[in-house]
Formats: sequence, C-alpha cells, structure tokens
Amino acid sequence: MASHGVSRVIGTNIRSAEVRQKEIEQIAAYKNLVDLVNTKITERKYTIEVLGLVTKLLNENPEYYTIWNHRRRVLGGLFDVPPTGGSPTQTPHGEELINGELQLTFALLRKFPKCYWIWNHRNWVLRKGESLSDTEAARKLWSGELQLIGKMLHADSRNFHAWSYRREVVAYLERTPASISSSTSPILSQSLAESEYEYTTKMIKTNLSNFSAWHSRAKLIPRLLNERGADNAARKQLLDSELALICTAINTDPFDQSIWYYHQFLMSTLSPECSRQNQIVLGLSNMDRQKYYAHEIEYIHEIIEDEADCKWIYVALLHLATSYLEIDGGTNAFTTVDMRSWLEQLKRLDPLRRGRWAELGSSLNI
Amino acid sequence: MALVSGPGRGGMDSMPAEMRLFVDKHVRYIQSLDSRKDELEYWLTEHLRLNGLYWGLTALHLLGHPDALPRHELLEFVFSCLHENGGFGAAPGHDAHMLYTVSGVQILATLDAFDELEKRVPGGRMKTGQYIADLQDPETGTFAGDEWGERDTRFLYGALNALSLMGLLHLVNVDKAVDHIQTCANFDGGYGTSPGAESHSGQIFTCLAALSIAGRLDLVEQDKLGAWLSERQLKNGGLNGRPEKKEDVCYSWWVATSLAMLKKLHWIDGAKLTAFILQCQDPELGGLADRPGDMVDVFHTVFGIAGLSLLQYPGLAEVDPVYCMPRAVTARCLSRQW
Ligand SMILES: [Zn+2]
Repeated sequence: MASHGVSRVIGTNIRSAEVRQKEIEQIAAYKNLVDLVNTKITERKYTIEVLGLVTKLLNENPEYYTIWNHRRRVLGGLFDVPPTGGSPTQTPHGEELINGELQLTFALLRKFPKCYWIWNHRNWVLRKGESLSDTEAARKLWSGELQLIGKMLHADSRNFHAWSYRREVVAYLERTPASISSSTSPILSQSLAESEYEYTTKMIKTNLSNFSAWHSRAKLIPRLLNERGADNAARKQLLDSELALICTAINTDPFDQSIWYYHQFLMSTLSPECSRQNQIVLGLSNMDRQKYYAHEIEYIHEIIEDEADCKWIYVALLHLATSYLEIDGGTNAFTTVDMRSWLEQLKRLDPLRRGRWAELGSSLNI
Repeated sequence: MALVSGPGRGGMDSMPAEMRLFVDKHVRYIQSLDSRKDELEYWLTEHLRLNGLYWGLTALHLLGHPDALPRHELLEFVFSCLHENGGFGAAPGHDAHMLYTVSGVQILATLDAFDELEKRVPGGRMKTGQYIADLQDPETGTFAGDEWGERDTRFLYGALNALSLMGLLHLVNVDKAVDHIQTCANFDGGYGTSPGAESHSGQIFTCLAALSIAGRLDLVEQDKLGAWLSERQLKNGGLNGRPEKKEDVCYSWWVATSLAMLKKLHWIDGAKLTAFILQCQDPELGGLADRPGDMVDVFHTVFGIAGLSLLQYPGLAEVDPVYCMPRAVTARCLSRQW
C-alpha cells in the first residue's frame, strides 16, 4: 500500500490461472495463521508454542503491529512463569527469551531495516532485559547493541532509524554506571561523547557526503568541549581543526551539500546570536568574527578558479558576506559589486530556486 | 468553499499530453482497491487499511469525486475499527494506535460524520479525544503511539491534528508539546523524530504542522529552514527527503507543504515539480508511484495529488497544507461550535 522503488511491469495484472490458484492458497494459509494467533491470544495462551506461531507470522509480515503487541503479551506471560527445571517442556529462562528476541529482531532488521515496529520491539526487549537482569548483564546487553548498529550503518550509512537507536543506546550506557572492579580504580567517565565523536570521524572518512554523521558531530561538539573542560585556547584549536577538516572536504567535492551544511553550522557558532551552550569559541569580539569570516571568504573565493559553476560557493560567499555586514564589518573583504556578481551566478546556475534568489537580492538590497 | 479556480476537466483535455492528470483513471484505481481480495498483498497490508481509506477518500475529494466511495460502507468500516477505549485500530481486530485513530478522525471529519459517531457511541468524540490526550507524556509534552510507548513527533502532530478537528485541543498541554518540538530543532533549521535526531522532511512537516495548529510558527527559523527545504528539489523537478537522497513523490507533499506553511512555495520550481508528479502516474490503470515507472500505491497517489493541489493544478479542490485534507472540510470543522 506504500511501495518504494518497485518497477511497474506492464501486464502484471494479468495472472495465469495457475498463479492465481497458488495465490489463493497462500492467502488461505496466511489467514489461517492470523486467525490461529488471534484465537490463542484471546484465550490468553501465553506459551512458548504460541510464541513460535507469532514468530512465523512476523516473519511473513513484520509490519503487522498488533502481532508485535501480541508477542509482548506472550513474553510478559512467559517472564512471569518461574523456570521449571528438568521437565522436557521446560520454560526458557528470562535471559534465553531476551536473547531469542534479539536474534529474531536482528534477522528481521537485516531484511527490513526501515520497519519502525521492529526497532520498537528491540528497544522494548532491552528495557525488559534491564529490569530482569543485574546491571552488569544489562550493560553487556546494551553494549552489544553498538555492534549491531555498526553493522546496520555499514549496510546503509544514512539509515536514520539506526542513528536514532544509536543515540538511545549511548544515552543508556551513559546513565548506567559500569561496575568498578576494585575500589582503587578511578571512577571512569561515563560519557561516550569522545568515542561517538571519533565514530563520526570514522564515518566521514569513509564517505564525506554522510550528512547523518556530520549532523551527529555538530550535536556532539558542544558537549565534548564542556566535558573536556576546554579552555578558550583548546576551543579555538578545535574550531580551527574542524574548519581545516571541512575545507579539505569542500576541496574534495564542492558539489556535496552535506559538507556545506556543516560549514554553515561552524559559521553559525561564531554569530553573536549563537547561544552560549552552542558556542565553540567563547567570548569572541567582532574583530575575531571578522577575521574568521574574511578568512573563509578568501578561502572559498579561491575555489571559484577551478569550480566556477558550483553554486554552493556563491551561497556560502553570500552567507558569509551577510554575517560580515551584520557585525558592522565594513566592506574591506568584499564589495557590493562582488555580492551582486555572486547573486547573478546563483540565478544563472540555479534556476530551480530563482524565486529564492530574487527574494535574497531584494532583502540584501543589492 | 474555496475551490481553486481553473478550467476544470474540460480545460485539462486541451492540455499537452504530458501535463494531463488522468482523473477518471485515478478514481477507478481508488475504487478498485477494496476489490483486490484475491491478492496476497491485500491481506499483507491490512495493518494500513484505515490509513488507506483516509488516503483514498482524501484523494477522491481533491479530485472532485467526493462520492466515489459509498459513504455508508465507509462509516461501517470506520466504526468497526473503534475500540472501547476510544482509539481506532487499522482494521477490525487490530489494536488501537495513534496513527489509526488520527485516520479515523480525519475520515469522520471528511464525511461530516461526528454526529453519527455520537449516535453509535454516546460521548464517542470525547472518548476518542481522551484516548489521544492520555498518550501525552506529562514530563516532556510529546506523545506515545500507544500503550507500548514509542514516542515520535509524528504522534505529537497526529494528536494535535485530530484533537483540533474535534474541537478538543484543550484536553492536552499544547505549550508543553510546543516545548518538545523546540527540543527537536536542529542547526539547519529542520526537525527530527526526537531530540538529537537528524532533520528529515517528513518530520519537518509534522513539526511545522503541529506548530501551525498551536499558532506558534514564530518559533521557526523560517529563512534557514526554507532554504534547506528548497534544496530538496532535484534537477528532474522531484523532491528528496534529506540531503543526497533520491527524489520521491511522497516528499513532494511533505517538502512542498512545509514550504507552503512558511509561505515560501515559490522558492522551488512549481512547474517542474508538477511535471515530475504527473510523470509518476500510471496512465493505463491509474494511481501514482514514488517515481516514474514504479508500481503505484494509494499512499503516493494521495500525496501526489495533494502536491498538485498545492501547486494549483487546474480543476483540483484546494488542500489544507496543515492537515492534508480538503480545505473545505478543515474550514467546516475548525469553525464548528461544538
Ligand atoms: Zn515515497
């Protein structure tokens, strides 16, 4: 009912009698299974056998959200049953059940990486695991999740479900203290900001156009600086190294918009309007700001030589020029004639957004 | 009633072939959807049935064929999805969930059938309102999808959408919901599913629409977000959902309507977007797909047609950018004295 990327083949609506018959049988089998599961749930048969039926059905249709709810109902019943040692129809123990759920959802996520209900169930399972086991075991469970997400992001580095889930897992690990083996060992910092920051570096180095990674990085930087207790020299150093990184990226592929958004983010932290918690360097004077803007204008202007037809250059130049003028920087770094020519380039290179460029022209009064 | 003026269907016939909208084919396609019970796909998508009805019904209204589905049968089905607690499931026997409750309310609004709800279930409107209101998290202001607790700005929007249509916004803490949306804002001006999440056009739509209902669009970084949204348009005229992704008809709705809420729809090329959406039609059997040449479905059909309405394609009824429903319907509901 909502399909993506499936080609329309002419004539698929004409099915042979054989195909139709087969489909009718499939439908009957599927409906029988649905009815059977629903009946068992109505009868509150929360057994391992019913769990198996539910598994079968979810493998056929992981989008059937009610069946996921049924699954949690069955699991809830099974968790409540004390383990019956010895007998052949042994009820599995909480931990075994949890592991089974993790395996099932992992297998399904490999096939349906964008299905909300599967991610949702996995999350529920981990929370359940947290309440069933001791902190150490729960922490181990959650740490394992980072590996799963690593695999998912390896398959699709922009899967926003996986990125969201990663943030949740990290938040969990951060709020649950690691056990300290001996009383003499120092209390370890629980924050994972440093390692998450490194993770974004790794992802960006694999693929510069990974906006999800740049986004994460932008969110991590203010926290990182706070946790490092960074003084202004260290803050300035970080900004400069981020600028160096992004400038290399711009040089590598100036047509990639994710890179320019990150550049825009770094520039926005310089603005007098940037809230203190989002600032990278604190207490900038307008003179400092001008220097940064002028430096970026000069650097980006140089790229025009090789890439005169890259619209992002002109977008950035106009942005920087506007910021420069806003802090009353005068026009030493550029002239109104420059700005007008940049805008002309945008109109020439980017006719899709001509309405936006016309409005920009009148708001800048150039 | 605010229909977009235009030459109507007679005018469309004189359009160049590639600019033609196959209205009759789309109507027949939507009518055929419930007669496909011999296809496995029909049964595998039962969990979307009530959404599907909302999509199909809205598309028909926008196409100017509001009576193409039988009202009585529609209502019977909608009421068969209603639970004791006031929530709606996707189909009979499916659990209640915010997503389907919103579709149920939207269908009742479109059919002007809240009185029929009251006849069947005395106090039914209030029950449904209360079901939605109880899903608000009093701490953060956001909403869960159901008792199992998944939280997402999609549910927050759905709640404000349905409650406002029923005149029951006062049941929830709108200010808190607005605060929550602000915690989902990003440096690019956009919004994600939850605090910290990357901007995504679908989520931007839900947040902007929720802020519109709350009357708080003043909180949006409008120029920044408008710029980001306008960059979703690709050379072929289609729109994508995030940077460096492929174009898709459903985003033609989420992005274009977000631009419309910001009064910046002219920041993209409307003619090219119109042409792209029209290329996604199945000219033989009706319906629209995500991209030209792909399989059609009712989801892309409604969002494609709603996009065309937003772009003032001749002969279509006007769509409300906030609700993705006919403007005439939302105007009636929002001005009603309950
Ligand atoms: Zn789509």
